[in-house]
Amino acid sequence: MNQNTLKPFLTRSTFVLALLFGGHELRAAMSRGFNQLLDAVVRIDVREVAFEAGSKRLASSIGSGVILSDDGLVLTNAHVVSPRAIEISVTLSNLERVGAQLVGWDHWTDLAVLRLDLPEIKRRKLRFAHGEFGDSDRLFPGETVFAVGTPYGFTRTVTRGIISNTSRYFEDPRGVNGYETGAFNTWLQTDAAINPGNSGGPLVTEDGRVVGINARGYIGADNLGFAIPANVARKVVADLVHDGAITRSYLGIVPGALQDLENFYALSLNTGVLVNNVDPGSPAARAGLRGGDIVLAIDGTRVDGRFPEQLPAIQNLIASLPVGASAKLTVKRGSELRDCILLTEKLESRVGEEWVFEKWGLSVRKVSRTYARENQLSDTTGVLVIGVQPGFPADVAGLSRGDIIAKINQQPVSTLATMKDLHAAFLAKPEPVLVEVQRNRQVSLYVLKP
Amino acid sequence: MIASSPSRRRLAPLAGIHRHLRFVFPIAAALIGATAMRAADLTALWVERVKSVVAVEYYTETEAERRPTVSYGTVIDANGTIILPSVAVSPRATPAQLKEFKVYRPGNPVSASAQYLGQDAFTGWHFVRVEESMRGELVPITAFAVKDTVEPAMAEEVWGIGLRNKDEDFLPYLLSSRIALVQSLPQRTAIAQQEVAGPGLPVFNRAGAFIGLASSSFGQNYIQFSREDRGGFPVIMVNVEESGAFQTAGEILPYLGRVPKNVYGRPLAWLGAYGLEPMDPEVAKFLKLSGQSGAVISEILEGSPAEKAGLKDRDLLVAIDDQPLPRFKPDRVIVTYVEREIQRRHPGDLIALTVLRGGTRLDLKAVLGEEPRLLSEAERKYFDRLGLTAREFVYDDAIARRAKTGDLSGVIAHYVKPNGPAAVAGLRTDDWIKEIDGTEVKNFAAAGEKLSAIETDKFRTECVLLVSRGGVTSVLRVKL
Repeated sequence: MNQNTLKPFLTRSTFVLALLFGGHELRAAMSRGFNQLLDAVVRIDVREVAFEAGSKRLASSIGSGVILSDDGLVLTNAHVVSPRAIEISVTLSNLERVGAQLVGWDHWTDLAVLRLDLPEIKRRKLRFAHGEFGDSDRLFPGETVFAVGTPYGFTRTVTRGIISNTSRYFEDPRGVNGYETGAFNTWLQTDAAINPGNSGGPLVTEDGRVVGINARGYIGADNLGFAIPANVARKVVADLVHDGAITRSYLGIVPGALQDLENFYALSLNTGVLVNNVDPGSPAARAGLRGGDIVLAIDGTRVDGRFPEQLPAIQNLIASLPVGASAKLTVKRGSELRDCILLTEKLESRVGEEWVFEKWGLSVRKVSRTYARENQLSDTTGVLVIGVQPGFPADVAGLSRGDIIAKINQQPVSTLATMKDLHAAFLAKPEPVLVEVQRNRQVSLYVLKP
Repeated sequence: MIASSPSRRRLAPLAGIHRHLRFVFPIAAALIGATAMRAADLTALWVERVKSVVAVEYYTETEAERRPTVSYGTVIDANGTIILPSVAVSPRATPAQLKEFKVYRPGNPVSASAQYLGQDAFTGWHFVRVEESMRGELVPITAFAVKDTVEPAMAEEVWGIGLRNKDEDFLPYLLSSRIALVQSLPQRTAIAQQEVAGPGLPVFNRAGAFIGLASSSFGQNYIQFSREDRGGFPVIMVNVEESGAFQTAGEILPYLGRVPKNVYGRPLAWLGAYGLEPMDPEVAKFLKLSGQSGAVISEILEGSPAEKAGLKDRDLLVAIDDQPLPRFKPDRVIVTYVEREIQRRHPGDLIALTVLRGGTRLDLKAVLGEEPRLLSEAERKYFDRLGLTAREFVYDDAIARRAKTGDLSGVIAHYVKPNGPAAVAGLRTDDWIKEIDGTEVKNFAAAGEKLSAIETDKFRTECVLLVSRGGVTSVLRVKL
């Protein structure tokens, strides 16, 4: 798959500037709304910590964003600004730069919210405009839209296209810097040129309403771009501003489209959703659900998962259930119909907390519940090695990326804190440490030597 | 010595070979300490020894193709028994798929048919027996075996036979080199400076005594570069027709009698210790076990003799029958060593295992069992209309999928015909079919019945499978 998030433009990239002479002069009769929108689009420069190399390194990138309010909220992509950011610099439309802070992020929808440094803005007497959301549900294929952003670092670039599809479905289990995305919403597809650096910029209608946030494109294809619909973004922004994060529920059901299977399951059309898989150990598994079951209703709300495009809404319905509450699923298995009561869990990413132990030259990520399930591990004990620095103890011992460190000095690594303590002890008194590592299913012992 | 007496008995009627043996031994004795030998002697040695080597051709018949394979073999007795190296047959092929074994003598286009006898787990050799008509033309390698063979010495000159391809009638040619290194891997393995024989073919010393059997060749690193790309990429090149490495006679002669009793090579001793990993020398030092080696047992398989003996996942095996595990280089060789220690025993044998568990040393005793049904023994059936071969779900399938071994339900999609109905529905090779048309698949027979019924029902337009792949299930609709 060539489909990538639009990697924020890297500052060291080079490019060729093609000069075009003799072009016709085109007079754009832009609305007042559109002009105001242009003044609300910003360039975002981010410096963030990268743990992967067995040491703490800094990476910098460029993306786009749109100011949403007078109090300086900026909406961008989760793959532009994440909690790893240590410095966020926003370039306003008047080319002035101000600092900003991350308010919250949500990789599932690939959205992040920042807040401009208002005291600084006040002190420097800077001005900015803000954009307004439009209704993305009312878009139609063929409708003219514009993408505004910072492709390849070119600030305030406007490109024009149409809405190519209003509800494109794709899930990407590693789409946002290794985090899952796309399970809970469909995407707008547009042929407005979207390039790396456009990420986080708005997709707008002719009257300047923000109908989407540009996020992805097929690299190498001709103008297959994707944006998060404004109606999804509006709710995510509200929740991020309120809580700093979005809490979702999890049942452990992997849905499938029922398309063509209605006869087999003796269902009338547009009824129910197929359960393709039930995650082992999940609430659904505990309630006895299994692959091949049909869910007809969730807490009395009938579901219709006939086509793939309908699945995100059903996933979102599950995600919107309160965490730790019971949910009643009406399930059909064969000719039998029954109600199952499931206790929801909090949805977790596969990607656990990351850390680097610099004296060992070792970057790790905590094994999460989701990671353990996906990799058929018996529990969440251990940390996943995500990088080793050449020549450092972990590398010399023979550890490599993908290994799971299960025990250190015979002590199970159940939390990152355990490991931090052991590393601190190593710093205080450098002595060889015995490490038990699982690689695929093979278990080996290694010694980290000072 | 298991094999020496039967070999002698089989050799008895061949008076010519006896004469030959008498002729060779004094020369060999005379050569000790000699620095050179006349080329004419080698010519005479060649003429007799080339009768011990053959090329073996067979076909692997699968659902989709019929593929010929040619391998080299060495004659081991007067009954026309030939051993082929373990790589001669793909581990995925079942004995039933191996057809039309033919044996060719070097430089001779006339073949004789042969029978496949099976693979010996301990040596890895495949055994083939050629029909009587050709046996008189062959000379077993034991004819050139010298009692108490000394392992080849550093820099000693050795030679062997290579065979050209079938289009050149497997013409034999001479290869020779000097010994560069002798190592335990864990079998004593000599590595020559250059290729000395075709893989699976014998190697001789200058006196003509059999000193070893060529293994598969080691890969050699090369840097591939071109005018456009000066940096180049390292590539590993393997010479598949010739080898510079051979296992010494002491690793071959005692085991020539291990002719499988059946094509599956049973009985097969089984411990049930999965995923052995060598102990790192630094770890040995840390655990104060320097001077020996060890192996971590990643998993103890459910219901296995190891489990019954009280072994646990992640135990560190340090001794077998009270003997500390010997050190090898590379470290990984210990894994093969332990596996061979099990394979050389029989089901029912007692094996004493010493393990370290969290710093405690434990002495455990296991009674080896019989290996559970193998993949190659699993029943299978091809369903042409579905484009699918269903295979019985066996113990190893459960292990590979981290499933409970007590419940061997479902069947495996052993082969999925490209672009066939099952493939179009999304079924892939090695998928685990758990339900057919909403009914749980209890076993292979039940699956076979169900799939046959679907195949023969002309009015059928679809069937629905519940399959599991990597622990994740999905429902597939197969349009017929």
